[in-house]
Amino acid sequence: MLERDITITNRLGLHARASAKLVQALHEFQSSATIVCRGKEVNAKSIMGVMMLAAGLGTPLTLRTDGVDEEAAMQAMVELFERKFDEGA
Amino acid sequence: MTVGILLMTHEAMGRALVSAAHHVLGALPLPVDVQEIAPDADPERMLRAAASNARELDRGNGVLVLTDLYGATPCNIARRLPDLGVRMHCVSGLNLPMLLRVLNYPEQSLEELAQTAASGGRGGIVIDTP
Repeated sequence: MLERDITITNRLGLHARASAKLVQALHEFQSSATIVCRGKEVNAKSIMGVMMLAAGLGTPLTLRTDGVDEEAAMQAMVELFERKFDEGA
Repeated sequence: MTVGILLMTHEAMGRALVSAAHHVLGALPLPVDVQEIAPDADPERMLRAAASNARELDRGNGVLVLTDLYGATPCNIARRLPDLGVRMHCVSGLNLPMLLRVLNYPEQSLEELAQTAASGGRGGIVIDTP
């Protein structure tokens, strides 16, 4: 299992479109993916799960991946956050 | 597994939800159509139109009909679709979380997708206590 701490840096946070992008990016990986936010743990492959975090700009998150392709799945997740979900801000 | 999704709603509801789903997801992974029922619409004519829409959406795995209000006319028309030979499950209480969750599980069967829709719709209701 891999674990990585990050902070949300895009202005709108994990809003609907960002959540959908995250879920879609993870779809191709077999590994499980979870996000931990304020002690709450959700399936990062579930759009409603991710949205229920209502996580805004500056929120610290812990990302976890577990499975055969956990490294690639983690990289895909981290890259999306680092690229601010391609939202430009 | 490709299930067709037919939204049967009161006026302006269905199209607005599909428009929001497009905004969130971009391209939709399942075939989706909308039939809004106007207050003065003839139910028999609407039933035939809905059956025709449903047949176009059915790629061999059935159609999931999502209606906004159980017991209202759009729902009552939808529930008669099997009489016209449409293979469908109908889930009522349509909301945006329900639609988004359904579209996030495009590989599911009709039976599974009906459960997914119901849990998505319920799970999207949150009381935020300050």
